[in-house]
Formats: sequence, structure tokens, C-alpha cells
Amino acid sequence: MKPALAYAAADGTFAATWLLLAFPAVGAAILLLGGRRANRWGPVLACLAAGAAFVLGLVLFAAMLGRAGDDRAISQHLFSWIPVNGFQVDAGLLLDPLSMCFVLLVTGVGTLIHIYALGYMAHDPNRRRFFGYLNLFVVAMLLLVLGNNFLALYVGWEGVGLASYLLIGFWSARPSAATAAKKAFIVNRVGDVGLSIAIMLMFATLGTTSYAGVLGGIGALGANSGTVTAIALLLLLGACGKSAQFPLQSWLLDAMEGPTPVSALIHAATMVTAGVYLIARSAPIFNLTSDGRLLVTIVGAVTLAIGAIIGCAYDDIKKVLASSTMSQIGYMFLAVGLGPAAYAIGILHLLTHGFFKATMFLGAGSVMHGMNDTVDMRRYGGLRTVMPITFWTFAMGYLAIIGFPGWAGFFSKDKIIEAAFDKGGTSGWVLGTVALIGAGVTAFYMTRLMIMTFFGERRWDPDAHPHESPAVMTGPMIVLALGSVISGFALTFGGGLQQFLEPVVGRSAEEGIHTISPTVLTLITLLVVAGGAAAAYRQYGTQAVPRTAPQAVSPVTVAARRNLYGDAVNESLLMRPGQYLTRALVFVDGRGVDGVVNGLAAGIGGSSGRLRHAQTGFVRSYALSMFGGAALVLAVLLLGRLG
Amino acid sequence: MSTVTTATATATATVLAASPQTSVSEAVVFWIVAPVAIAAALAMVFSRHAVHAALLLVVDFFCLAVLYAAQDAPFLAAVQVIVYTGAIMILFLFVLMLVGVDSSDSLVETLRGQRVAAAALALGFVVLLIGAIGSATLQMPSQGLAAANAEGNVIGIARLLFTRYVFAFEATSALLITAALGAMVLAHKEQVVPRVSQREMSRRRFAGAHPTPYPSPGVFARHDAVDTPALLPDGTAAEPRPPVLEGSSNQAGRAGDPAGPGATGSGS
Amino acid sequence: MTPTDIPAPSIAYGPLWPMIAVFLAAAIGVLVEAFVPARRRRPVHLVVALAGLTGGLVAVALVARNHHHPTLIAERAVAVDGPTLFIQGTLLLLGIAAVLLLGERSLDSTGGTFVAAAAVVPGSRGERQLTASSTMQTEVFPLAMFALGGMLLFPASNNLLLMFVALEILSLPLYLLAGLARRRRLLSQEAAVKYFLLGAFSSAFFLYGIAMLYGYAGSVDLGAIFTATGTVGSNDTLLYLGIALLSVGLLFKIGAAPFQNWTPDVYQGSPTPVTALMASGTKVAAFGALLRVFYVAFGPVRWDWRPLMWGVAILTMGVGAVLAITQTDVKRMLAYSSIAHAGFILTGVVALNRSGLSGSLFYLLAYGFSTLGAFAIVTLVRDADGEATHLSQWRGLGRRSPALAGIFALFLLAFAGIPLTSGFTSKFAVFSAAISSGATGLVVVGLIASAVAAFFYVRVIVLMFFEAPAPDGPTIAVPSVLTYGAIALAFAVTVVLGVIPGPLFTLADKAALFVR
Repeated sequence: MKPALAYAAADGTFAATWLLLAFPAVGAAILLLGGRRANRWGPVLACLAAGAAFVLGLVLFAAMLGRAGDDRAISQHLFSWIPVNGFQVDAGLLLDPLSMCFVLLVTGVGTLIHIYALGYMAHDPNRRRFFGYLNLFVVAMLLLVLGNNFLALYVGWEGVGLASYLLIGFWSARPSAATAAKKAFIVNRVGDVGLSIAIMLMFATLGTTSYAGVLGGIGALGANSGTVTAIALLLLLGACGKSAQFPLQSWLLDAMEGPTPVSALIHAATMVTAGVYLIARSAPIFNLTSDGRLLVTIVGAVTLAIGAIIGCAYDDIKKVLASSTMSQIGYMFLAVGLGPAAYAIGILHLLTHGFFKATMFLGAGSVMHGMNDTVDMRRYGGLRTVMPITFWTFAMGYLAIIGFPGWAGFFSKDKIIEAAFDKGGTSGWVLGTVALIGAGVTAFYMTRLMIMTFFGERRWDPDAHPHESPAVMTGPMIVLALGSVISGFALTFGGGLQQFLEPVVGRSAEEGIHTISPTVLTLITLLVVAGGAAAAYRQYGTQAVPRTAPQAVSPVTVAARRNLYGDAVNESLLMRPGQYLTRALVFVDGRGVDGVVNGLAAGIGGSSGRLRHAQTGFVRSYALSMFGGAALVLAVLLLGRLG
Repeated sequence: MSTVTTATATATATVLAASPQTSVSEAVVFWIVAPVAIAAALAMVFSRHAVHAALLLVVDFFCLAVLYAAQDAPFLAAVQVIVYTGAIMILFLFVLMLVGVDSSDSLVETLRGQRVAAAALALGFVVLLIGAIGSATLQMPSQGLAAANAEGNVIGIARLLFTRYVFAFEATSALLITAALGAMVLAHKEQVVPRVSQREMSRRRFAGAHPTPYPSPGVFARHDAVDTPALLPDGTAAEPRPPVLEGSSNQAGRAGDPAGPGATGSGS
Repeated sequence: MTPTDIPAPSIAYGPLWPMIAVFLAAAIGVLVEAFVPARRRRPVHLVVALAGLTGGLVAVALVARNHHHPTLIAERAVAVDGPTLFIQGTLLLLGIAAVLLLGERSLDSTGGTFVAAAAVVPGSRGERQLTASSTMQTEVFPLAMFALGGMLLFPASNNLLLMFVALEILSLPLYLLAGLARRRRLLSQEAAVKYFLLGAFSSAFFLYGIAMLYGYAGSVDLGAIFTATGTVGSNDTLLYLGIALLSVGLLFKIGAAPFQNWTPDVYQGSPTPVTALMASGTKVAAFGALLRVFYVAFGPVRWDWRPLMWGVAILTMGVGAVLAITQTDVKRMLAYSSIAHAGFILTGVVALNRSGLSGSLFYLLAYGFSTLGAFAIVTLVRDADGEATHLSQWRGLGRRSPALAGIFALFLLAFAGIPLTSGFTSKFAVFSAAISSGATGLVVVGLIASAVAAFFYVRVIVLMFFEAPAPDGPTIAVPSVLTYGAIALAFAVTVVLGVIPGPLFTLADKAALFVR
């Protein structure tokens, strides 16, 4: 039950663990510093770097399988990073089954998407920089999952944030891209503050930030103690920011401004799942706090509902997929929140989702590629015949996500619904029902997407000449589609993944008492899914789809189109108070008249003249405020003394 | 400034009151001089005339010197008079006279609430200080002035200055050099254009079209401002003069400017 | 008069050499002004100043090697201990970079960032002639050297009187230097007057505090004050008055709230190389003095002043981070950022333990170089009116000059505390020290403030890289090797301290012990 915290030393094959990071790091360095010379061969080099890391990952995976279950966690010490007095942070790596899953996902899917991007970005003048950032992302993501302490995780955490930020804003000529990049960064900062405070708290209570020390020592604080709950909730806040979970979900939709390969890699398959990794990694902490776990499940359930509802309303194909990502990560949160029983199921869904969502994003990219970068599904229709490969691969992803029997999602999502019901009690029923209905809604919006894009009449723009994408793009799509079909079965065959992960997250309660018999539940789920798909077919398959979004719609649709007012909530919760505080302080300061938050456009001439005028005679007010400060300091010291 | 002085006086008062050695004569001197010092300081702050303010500051410095003397520190008292009252204040007055005693700035307070806030804060600060210092009792064993002045006041000071505080004393030299250098930077102007001799100036004037002096400004005009052109007897304005430099009638640029107001109009 | 026998004080001049070298160079600089022809002064000054600073650095190294035991020399006036040497070394390195910036003159067509003749009235005809000429007020070199000498002495002073003298030595030249900008002279002179008046005001508080402490302890020696705080029964009111008033003077110099409001105006108005010197050097020196006073003299009464410092630190971080958001001028924004950083370093002061001290020392070095580098880059972005400091003019800088904008972005990321830059490691060091001394609440506030601060740093990065350049935007001046050298040094320190901070941490940790 208790995770093995005595890590084996990295010897033999495992001495090469650090090379996982080194390959893409060297690639990124060459591409970003190499200048124009690297323009021609740089992108290919980036693919090779990612591919080399993947191959190495496979080798290490094979070596890991060769070891006994409890002996599979390997720690590699690199160097002593921050030796603050009496407290040491070593830069070190931890390769255990959990991080192994991520390494293979990140490098595997990453390599495929690199290759895809060779085609997708072929005509972009800044493609070298793009591939440099992609490699940088891979390094940061690997560091995130491979670090052997929370500080290294934090470094990777910031690193993926930075890379994601650079890539969202990659097409910075569009003002919306710059805004989206900024928004992603700010929302993520909120989460990062949570994570950093959590790390500081760990250090304050346990005197260390290493996994061995924290996860091994957290038990000493006692179950459900305030500190443990606080740490868990702060970690959850961090996870919510990175994984776009309620209430920090709004940035993900805007992040779709980035190039589609980025959406596929970062905002679907890997980075956004870092929150799930964080919670799974911190399993010993969450195991100690039932309140924390409950909140994780609630966050997951709320987000999966929100994402599903929003997904029904958007006409922008990437935004539909993005809300679907939110929703699916909600499922993962729900799973990992259920405790030891379902960590492995959460990770399973994470892996299958990585495959099928990447498939669909790449498919969407392929469609956009053929349709002059149009994203409005009301301008698609009937693409099935002109883009057969895209259609078929996308269809595999579609079947996987709705949980068609035999496809990947069937194995993972159904398990989550089952585990939610198995939690028992009222909460179990509520969570299970939400998850079940969510599955139906998922089927609805995904069917809607399929029909609007690939079936029905052709509603193309006059100048659109859709065509199938080149082989360099369809190749990765085919491989990923294959993954969408078989990964669920392959990973669960003989309980493979669950046994593999057992040393890290504990045993799954597979043989526990079921609230509803699995067979019955599977049937119910299939019925709900079929119902959702049928409803979508009735609405979009049998009637003509208008080319412009109808305005006379129900309030629910309006709300969903507006992201369920997530931006409004964020604005009133985060932005407004900040602005008021700033304004108030500016007022008090009496100096900030020359600037408002976005008033950057004001010309230098006028403002410097105004500044000069505003400044004359203010020295006495400065002196006055200094004097006031001195009086205050004096009063605090003297009165504090008396009191 | 006023607060500081007030508090200093209060502090001194407390110290004197608490210390048993205070003689009657010293107390009498203190209670006469200290109020004068405070009154002078306040008057200096509120004075609207710069010269009055400077003179009131002199009064203040004198009072301090008397207090020093009363506390058996004749050297300090002398230095206070010689350096502050003698040298520094005279320099102040020099500058004031040079700039012009009439050029008074507008004393209207433009910032709303500034004065009220300043007064309130000053009051609060003084109350805090007086309260704190008043409640303090000195339990420190003091050697007494007799010990400090055993060899004479000057020697006592010298002993401290050249032993315990010698490094501070040495370091002060850096301050003095900086001050001298700063004065040079702010006041000294390198001669970039060769100075025009008087001979050259008069040669230029007679070689030019206008050997006689220009009419002084305002001679026949309604205004006597420097930049108002003089009127010729026929009522037209005299020919335009070289423009007067903005804000600096007596500093820059005159050297190379023989026909400027300095060359011709100085007699008026 | 009978001759009186005053025994000559024993002064071990050896450990004073770092300061002596700098003061000597300053004095030689004055002689250079007098005897070297105007055309050749600048290079000669550069050589003299750099020689003085390098000599000082060598002296620091020698003292560190030969004096393993911290000592008080010059009649207990100067403390030669780890913090002194660490801060002096930092200051000398910063000084070298700052002098390189002072000496730069290929940026402006007419040469230099300093006024041709300070005595000439702005806007007059004489000024126009002089501005077109290539002369400059070369006194800036000796003035800067005097300021640096004062900075070296300030944190080394073991008695308050010497500390005050040092404070004045470092301030007076800076008041002058602030007013010597070549462009926008009225703004510069206004900054100088403001700095002078407020600085004098704060010095008065400092002196008043010294008087109170003398009244309390009967001595201005920090060790004696420490001893007095340990004795029972003495009336502490004077001590608290002294602590409060002394803190006002010190907090003014580091730019902590509520004594911060001179900072933006002065930083903006001063010639940018001087701003760089002020923002890095003055802050380092003033923090050194603050640390010494609070660690050495006021340690035993920490429970009384710590709440105050908590408040000041929180206020400083908050004011700096929040107000920086609305700034539209790069220099003002950096000024507010320096206020916020003063707050972060104060958390290290509040920690009041060895790791707090070593963390603060580390932070000072890291921050000093980042901020110096940032200001150095500000000097390069120019238009016809001199430096283009309005943020709207920085739009799209990343397209025009990716390398320069990238380095600036790195400095900003370091300010924001993003991992793998020096900013992260240094923030981590002070915050973990504060936590280990029980100031968790303060650290939480600090983390939130740094998240807010990250916003405006990133806003500038967005502006530089993700927005289209303004059509009439500024040009990037091509500097001489001097500015390149300063920027390269700052860049190297920022990166190295982020990636392998270990050796410097070890050094700071070894140094973190005050002599009393």
C-alpha cells in the first residue's frame, strides 16, 4: 500500500536517464541559438531529438519491466542545486512507473506531433523558432514528470507554462493571440501561487521538498490534520490552474489561438494533464485528507459538466475540442480524487485521452489546413469524401471518446463512472450520475461535430478548395488513430497498467463491492451515449445546418456560448478587485495619473510634458508622506511596546 | 525643522530635570534660552521673507551656542558661532542677496490638505516624541562633565576625535572633496568660446552699422521691461535687438554678444 | 598650554585597502580633472577608476584570504567580517559594470549621457552650443568613485557615527550625479533636487535616531548598544525611539514603503547609468548597513521590531508590485520593481537567522546585477530625443533586435522569479529562511506579490515580442565594448546564479556571520 520511498540508484541502463532531458534540450538550444543557418535542417533535427528521447524511453521502459515491482523506482542524483544553510535541494531525477507512463506519452505523442508539424508549419517563415519552442516544451514537461522533488517539478511547471505561453502567442501578429497568451499566463500564475505556497508549506513543516522526504514523512502530520489539508488544497489550486479546471478553466479556450499542433500536444495530450500527474504523484498526501479528495472529485465533476455543456454550443471546431479536453480532464480529476481505488484508472484515461484527443486535434488541424484555416464548423460539411484519411482517423478518435465498445474510451471512461458510483453514499451517486450524464452529453457534442464537419451538405466558403493533407501529416494521424483504437484494451489487458502503477499509487480496489453491477452499468452507459448521439443526429443529421449561428436560442445555449460566463466570473473575481486596488493605490500615491492599465498607446511627447507639469511642487507632499511614515513607525514601535 | 528643535529642547529639558547635577544657574539659562530657540525656529518656518528667515535662524543658532556653553562645552559653543552663524549663515545671506530678496516665490499652497495634514502630523509626532522622551529616565551611569573636561574641553574633544572617531574624521575628508567638486560642477563653466577682449568688442561695434548705443529699453516706451523695444522719436519701434535669453539675463551667452543688452543697455 | 599626550590610535590599514583603493582612485580622479587636458580626460578617468575598483577587488580577495577571524579595526569603527567582504566584493563588481556604463559615449551622436556643462542654464543659447559639442562633465568619474567608496564603508561601519558619515559620502555624489543628464535636463535637475531634499530629510531622522541610541546606550558603537539591550532594568523608550528613527533613515535609502516615493521620480530623471548605479549599488550598501544594524545591535529586542518590519515588508512588496502595473515608462516601472524587491529582501532581514543573512546577501548580488543589466539595456533604446523610455516605444522590440530584447526579457524573468534565473534562487533563499524563522505569513504575502509582479514583467515581454513594432519606433544604438561588457557581465551572473547557484550559496553561507 505504502509507496516505496527507498529509491534504487540509477545504474546500468538507467544511468542514461538524464539523456531523456538532454536530447530535446540540445535540440532546443541549437534551434533557438543557431540563427538562420538552422532554418533548413532545424525542424528535422527537432523531430530527431524528440524521437531519440522516445527511443531511449522505450529502452528504459524495457529495462524497467525487467526489474521487480518494488524495485522499479530509480532515482538519479545529478548535482546539488540549492544548498541553503541546513537545507539542500538536489537536482535529481526519479524514474518510476508513474513517470515512465508520462515519459512515453510525452515523447511518443510528442514525436508524432513534431512530425505532423513538419507538414502543418511547412510554409511558416518562423518555423525554426516554432520547433525550438516545441523541443523546449518537451524538456520542461519531462523535467516536470522526472524531477525527484517538488522544486524540480515546480521548475518544469513554470517551464511548460513558459513554453505554452510562447507557443500560444506564436502567431503574435494576431492581437487575439497575444491577449490569449497573456490570459493563459495570468490565470496560470494564480494556480502557481497555490503550488508555490504548498511547496513552501511542505518545507516549513517537513524541512524538505524531496518526494522521498515529503511523501514519506507526511504521514507523521496525521490524517486530516489542518496542514495536510491545506497543502492538498493548495496543490489542487495549482493543478486546477495548469489543467484548466473549475474555476480556472477559462484560459484553455483562448489558448486555441496557438497553432494546431500546439493545441494537440500541449493543450490536449500532455501539459494540461500535469495537474492529474501532480495529484497522482502526491497520492500519499491526498490519501490523508478526505476533505481534499472530496474537493478534487467535486472540481472534476463540475468541470466535466461545464466542459460538456460548453462543448455543445461552440461552432469553432478547436474550441469544441478544447471544451471536450476540459471535460475529459474533469473525468481524470474525478478519478484521482476517488483515492487509491481509482488513481490508476485516472492515469489510464489520461493515456487513452492523450491518444484520441491528439488524433482529433490533428484531424481538426488537417481540416483547417484544407479549408484555409477556417474554424467555423458551419462552413464545413460533407468533407468525408474529399478528406478520407482525415475522416477515418477522426472517426477512430470519435468512437474512442464517446466510449464505443472496444475503443479506448470504453475501457477508461466507463471505469471512471463505475468507480464514481462505487464510492458509495450520496456523494458517490451524485458524482456517478454527473459522470454518466456527462458521457451522454459528450456523445451529443462529438456527434454534432462529426456531422457538421464530415457529413451533410457542403457549406464551404466560395474560395475553399479542401484537399487531403500530405503524408507527413496523415502518417502521425494514422498512428495515433491506431492508438485510439487499441490503447484502452492494450493497457488494461490482464490489469497491465494497474499492476504497473501499483508500487506508486497503491492497489486499485477492483474486487471491491460494486454499487451497481459493472455489466448493468456498462449497458446503462451505452444507452445514455447512444441517446446523446441519436439526439445529435436528429438535430444536425436530419435537418439542414444554417451557415450562421441562429440567434433565437434558449438561454442555456446563450450561456454556453459565452463559456458559461466563466470570463465574467474571472473578471469579477480576479481582475476587478485587482484593478480597484490598483486604482485606489494610484489615487493614494497621487502619482499614477500618467498611466492606466492598457494606456500604452499614449504618445511620449504629451506624457512627458504632462509629467513635468505634474511633478512640480510635489516634493513637499513626498516629504509629508515620509513624515507620516516616520510617525507611523514610531507609533507602532512605541505603542506596540506599551500594549 | 521646528518639530525637531522642539523635541530637542524637550529632550534637553528632560535630561536636565532628571539629572541631579543641574545647577540653578544652568536651569535658569535653559528656561530662558530654550523658549527663545523654539520661538525663533517656528518664526523662521512661518516667515514669509527669506532674509527674515535667515536672520531668525541665526538667532536659533545663537541660542544653541548659549546652551552648549551652559553645559560646559565652550569649544562647541565657539564652533557653533564661528562656523554656523559666522560662515554658513553669511553664505546663505550672500546667496539670498545675489538671487534677489524680492524674488519671492508664491506661497499659496496648491495641494489640498497639505498644510492641515502637515500640521496634524507634526503635532502627532511631537506628542509621541515628548511622551516617549518624557517617560524615559536615564539610568545610565554618567561620568559627569568633570571627567570629560578633566584636561580641558578642547583636549577632551581632540582625544575623542583623534582616537575613537579618527576613522570617521578621516572619512569626512572624502565628503569635503565631494562638496568642493560638486560646487565646481554646479557653478564652474568651462570657457568653450574664446573670451572676447574689450578691444575686440569695441572694434566690432565701430565696424558695425550701429556705433552708438541703442536706446535703452523703455526710454520712450510705455513699459520699462527689458524686452520691450524702445521707441524712436518718430514713434516707431527701434530696430529689433538681439533676443534676451530666456530665464538668464545675467548668466549665459553674454561673452560672445557685444551688441547685447549688457554691452549697451547697462547704463540705464 | 601644556602638551597633552594622546596615544596614537592603532589602525590596521591592511583590511581597509578595498576602501582606500577606491577613495585613492577618486582623489586621483580629482587631480586628473585639474591636470589632464580636457580631450584626454575621459579615457584617463576610465583607466583610473577601473584600476581603483580592480585594486579594491584584489584587496577584498586578499583580506578574505588572510583574515579568517572577523575583526573590528580602527578603534572598533570598521568591522571586517564575512558580510562586509561579501558586500564589498559585490559592490566593487557592480561598480566596475557601472563605471563601464558611465564611460560609454558612442550612443549619442554628441557623446555621452552626461551634460556638457552642468552650470549652463537649460534651454539657453550657450547650452545649445555645448550640447552640439562633444564635451562632457568628466567629474562624474571621481564623483561616482566617491559614492562607491561611501557604499563600501556604509555596511562596514561598526559605529553609528561612521555609518552616518558613510551615508553622506555615498549620498552627496549621487545627489549631484542625478542632475547631470544630457537630455531632458529639467527633469534631471528636478530629480536631483528632490533626491537631495528628501535625502537630507531622511538623514535628519537617522541622526536623531543616533542621538536617541546614544542616550540609551551611552555609546554609538553597535556592540555597546547590543550589550545595553541585554542589561535588565534600563529604560527602553529611548531604544525604541532610536530604532524607529534610525530605521526611517535606512528604509529611505533602500526605498521601502512608506519612504519609497522618491524612487520613481529620481530613477526616471537621473541619467540612466547613474540610475543603474543607484538601483544596484545604493540598494546593496543600504541593505548591508540595515542588516548590520539589525543583526548586530538590535538582535535581542527582535520581538519588538519584527512586527514593524513585517508591516514594512508587506507594504513595500504590495506598493511596489501593484503600482508598477500602471506604469508606462520603463524606468519608472523598474523603479517600482526595485521597491518590490526591497520588500522581498526585507523578508530575509525579518528572518534574522544565518540563512536569512546569507539569503539576503545572495539576493543582493543577484538583484544588483539583473537591475544593472536592465538599466544598461534601457540606455540602448533611443530615438531622436535620447532614450525612448515610454513603453509604447518598446513595442515590437523583439522583432527589431531579438538578442537585446531577449536579454532584457531574461532580466525581467529574473525579476519575476522564474526558475533557472538568479531571481528564483534568490527569492527561494530568502523565503525559505523566513519560513524557517516562522514568518510563513510574510512568505505567503511575498509569493502573492511576486505573482502580481510577474504580471507587469510579462506585460513588457508581450509588448516586446508579441506586438507589432511602432512605425516611428526607436532605434537600437550600437554601443562600444564598454556597455557590451556591462551587459555581458550582468547576463552571465543572472544565468549562472540561476543554473548553478551552489558555489555562491556556499560562499554567502560562509560569509554570513557578523562580528560584534
